[in-house]
Amino acid sequence: MRRIGVFVCHCGINIAQNVDVKTLTEYASHLNGVVVAKEYKYMCSDVGATLIKDTIKEFKLDGIVIASCSPRMHEHTFRRVANDGGVNPYRVEISNIREQCSWAHSDKQKATEKAKYLVRSAVSKALSLEPLKPSTLKVIPEALIIGGGIAGIQASLDLANDGFKVHLVERDPSIGGHMAQLDKTFPTLDCSSCILTPKMMEVANHENIELLSYAEIVSIEGSIGNYTVKIRKKPRYVDVDKCTGCGDCATNCRLKDRITSEFNQGMGKRGAAYMPFPQAVPLKYVIDDKKCLFLTKGKCGDEPLCKKACAQNAICFDQKEEIIERKVGAIIVATGYDVMDPAVVYEYGYDQSPDVITTLELERLISSSGPTKGEILRPSNQQKPKSVTFILCVGSRDETQCSWCCRIGCMTALKQVYLLREKLGEDVEINVCYNDLRSFGKGYEEFYRKVRGLHTNMFRGRPSEVRPMTDHLKIDIFDTTTNKLFEIKTDMVVLVPAMMPRKDAAEFARLLHLTLSGDGFFLEAHPKLRPVDTFVNGIFIAGCCQAPKDIQDTVSQASAAASRATTILSQEELEIDPLIAMVDEDVCTGCGICIEVCPYEARTLNERKRIAEVNNALCAGCGSCIAACPSNASIHKNFTKKQLLNMVDDIM
Amino acid sequence: MSIIDLTSMGEPQSELRKELNDRLTKLQDEISDYCFQCARCTSGCEAHKLLELEPHKIVALLKRGLLNELINADVIWTCMTCQKCRERCPQRVAPIEILFALKNIAVANGKQIPGKYTAMLQSILTMGLIQDVQQTTTRTNTTVKRDDLGLPPLSKPVDAAKFQAGIMKIAMEKV
Amino acid sequence: MKKRYALFPGCLMPTEQYAYELSLRETLPLLGVELVDVEGFSCCGEPMKSVNQLLTLYLSARNLAIAQKHHLDIYVPCAMCHLALTECQHILEKNPAMKERINGMLAAEELTYTEKTHLVHTVDLLHDVIGIQTIKEHVKKPLHGLKIAAHYGCHILRPKEIGRPDDSENPQKIETILKALGAEPVNYPQKLDCCGAPLLANLPESALTKTGQKLQAIQEQQIQGLVDVCPWCHKMFDSRQTKAGETVAVKLDVPVVYLTQLLGIAFGIPPEKLGLELNLSPVEKLQQEAKP
Repeated sequence: MRRIGVFVCHCGINIAQNVDVKTLTEYASHLNGVVVAKEYKYMCSDVGATLIKDTIKEFKLDGIVIASCSPRMHEHTFRRVANDGGVNPYRVEISNIREQCSWAHSDKQKATEKAKYLVRSAVSKALSLEPLKPSTLKVIPEALIIGGGIAGIQASLDLANDGFKVHLVERDPSIGGHMAQLDKTFPTLDCSSCILTPKMMEVANHENIELLSYAEIVSIEGSIGNYTVKIRKKPRYVDVDKCTGCGDCATNCRLKDRITSEFNQGMGKRGAAYMPFPQAVPLKYVIDDKKCLFLTKGKCGDEPLCKKACAQNAICFDQKEEIIERKVGAIIVATGYDVMDPAVVYEYGYDQSPDVITTLELERLISSSGPTKGEILRPSNQQKPKSVTFILCVGSRDETQCSWCCRIGCMTALKQVYLLREKLGEDVEINVCYNDLRSFGKGYEEFYRKVRGLHTNMFRGRPSEVRPMTDHLKIDIFDTTTNKLFEIKTDMVVLVPAMMPRKDAAEFARLLHLTLSGDGFFLEAHPKLRPVDTFVNGIFIAGCCQAPKDIQDTVSQASAAASRATTILSQEELEIDPLIAMVDEDVCTGCGICIEVCPYEARTLNERKRIAEVNNALCAGCGSCIAACPSNASIHKNFTKKQLLNMVDDIM
Repeated sequence: MSIIDLTSMGEPQSELRKELNDRLTKLQDEISDYCFQCARCTSGCEAHKLLELEPHKIVALLKRGLLNELINADVIWTCMTCQKCRERCPQRVAPIEILFALKNIAVANGKQIPGKYTAMLQSILTMGLIQDVQQTTTRTNTTVKRDDLGLPPLSKPVDAAKFQAGIMKIAMEKV
Repeated sequence: MKKRYALFPGCLMPTEQYAYELSLRETLPLLGVELVDVEGFSCCGEPMKSVNQLLTLYLSARNLAIAQKHHLDIYVPCAMCHLALTECQHILEKNPAMKERINGMLAAEELTYTEKTHLVHTVDLLHDVIGIQTIKEHVKKPLHGLKIAAHYGCHILRPKEIGRPDDSENPQKIETILKALGAEPVNYPQKLDCCGAPLLANLPESALTKTGQKLQAIQEQQIQGLVDVCPWCHKMFDSRQTKAGETVAVKLDVPVVYLTQLLGIAFGIPPEKLGLELNLSPVEKLQQEAKP
């Protein structure tokens, strides 16, 4: 005869105000198989845990039911408590009477009735729960970091310094990401390169870091502690072992200064043989196979001039792409963000005038390594502008584009106002059209005050449009601080565009089985308590791939993700959750349907026995094979058909 | 029938009045509440510079429940219906729709209808169109009418009585 | 393939803007469009929207129901009417209760609104249905050297969400048609500015000031002519041009033509058939300046 104990939690008043916990406990105590039922204000507290453990001993319980919040919150807690008390942790059943009952209903009497049903069915499940034992898996003490922006760099360095081998995969020819494009950073005005370049160099030289630049993820298989990753290394057409970064190939390229430079946001030009920027890591040249004459047309004059010029003989046109494989125990995704194309807000003139630019483009103009060597010149005539106007929230906080706040736009604009004032002097008019000004970080508000003191014309409102006139740009802005319409004539307009998920974020999420939030960024496991975890164990997220954020928050999050990865990598073995699929060998016909439906590739066919088998390390317990199996041979441990039907019977 | 039936709030129109109020409440609750006063609508309003229409202010006043002030204000009749406020609003608030509703309520409450609206309405009731065939002048100062130009007969309601009966239903309909 | 449409004339075009009607009746059949005259249409309702929106909806539905009775798609040359009818379809498709209610009222005239009808305006009829290639094939006297500005009219561009004949912020279909006629479309910053017509009913002075301001800007940019596609806009820019000039204290001298008139000129149709003598702006300048 089984001995079940039921523990009803008040959750403060979260449950107690809408469910009569005393009545419920009393009811539970009479259920078949139940030898004791108790209630307590906070079952998840230390006192609650002690109460459960003591009751287990006193009543010699062999299974428990906790009527409380969602199992997503505290199932783990109560399993541990059960284990400490001497009950097999898989003989714990959670009855969710908070999210699915007290929070959902307002009629206390009816909610209490519903809670009774829920607890009754949980007891019936508890009666048939099997004691399970987790198996173990050897952890590969290496990490994969996807994305070489500041988030990926920080996470790589943290893990490498902790002694773990790191494989850093970057899609572009150089690491550095968006931060490498910035001139100075708010609010301290640190030079972006000065603080980023040393970290990039450290990545390049760290014995524990394998830098795979110009490479992309092809596939990821396996599970926490043991992932197999396939990586495509794109051909650079330059032998990186020979290239010294001298630049003779780029100087001699026939297309020199004829291709739009991505790094300079279209404000400058490069050749087909190029280095993205002077501080690139690795400091190796690359040949653009979409533009290079030899690679696209098979002919570059009499011979490719880069090849002729390279004293090291490093140019290597027959390089092919290569697929390599790495095995890792944990993965950090730090793939960053895209800047919204401001041309989608056509009326702001980005497509109509060269003098309408974005903050990132202005960043390149301000930068001494940029196309104008740091001089602020109006793109249409290369003259110093007499008036510059910023428009904030372009596409941000906009239900027709991106409903979210970009979190960096206000401060970026303020920083640029400061730098423009420094570079252009007092006689230049600077206008800022803002909706709300958000300066929330440490030192931000102080910086905002400083910028207000620089004769900045702050207009509170959103312009409807930017009109390109013959020799200037015209903006009508209704300023809600003065209740007046101002007609601004300006030479340059700087748009602060929204930050968006990478355009291939959804595709990438499918590759990793990650979830997206409504806005298209990667979803964290819990917004407050598990901010860098994902719903896939062993995969963490950091930086702007999760949501827009500034450098400060990105770096903090990257270190957090590295630290979370360490909790896995530092263990030799991991317990594998036993709540996974198994096969009833007597029933299985070896039809193979489960192999096709399994999204985790955890199913294989045993040719000799003619049955399908489950790889315990790979199975995530998703249940796809259970639903698909035509002969009921696939069984989910402790979610068997019989167990579930018993629960249903008790509710009906 | 007289146009009074359609434009004033006599007893038979109490249902119409209820409907207008419902529509406005809906606009107030479901649309204007989302307005965050960026005034993009006013920055681009075609009527603002000339006639001081401030759509964002209309929305704000409505949010504060100042309906009477709004329906008595002449400024609600200055909207050029260009729809730019609706098109470009970052929060999908449609000030133009609020203005239409306010004008309708003003009319239903017996406020003076400005300008030629009454005449146009009378013409619609009489012959189906806002005006009858006009005599126009050419660049060489001769006058012509539709018939002189070989155009086919004007398309308009064939049976005026039936047409008016249809429109009557708007005035008399019980919701 | 022959394209058949019920011509929905509205109020303004058939009672005073004869040039539009003459020129579209002259040009569209050449391009394979059969226009069917249907008895019994009324005002679209749009001019009454400020007074009573239910009346607007009713009148629009009534007109749609008449075309549906004849199983015809509808060609709506007026921008205001086009918006009213489109919006009505949008509302009735989304709101079955309203559809039922409106149909209850339509019963007085034995009419029923059934389902969404295909609606076209001059711009999308020419650009999307007939197509640029067909237009090009009919050009006999290309309008080389003519720098023409396009005025679309607010009501055919917005609101985008219910579907309009061209893009709300960067419409280019008229420009493409102008190019097909051999003319040179000119971009100008005031392109999307309102003509002022919706205020004619109650604030005619302000309405004309709007018109005057836009025409003045066009005149200052040495644009040779303005082309429009709405009887209301045309009434302001052409019929009332002199008065509009007075409001901004400028002698305005901008040739303004309907797109269908310009089409006719390029097709070699005699000016009198296109109602060109009805334009009060100096349109003869256009004919002189076109280099054959």
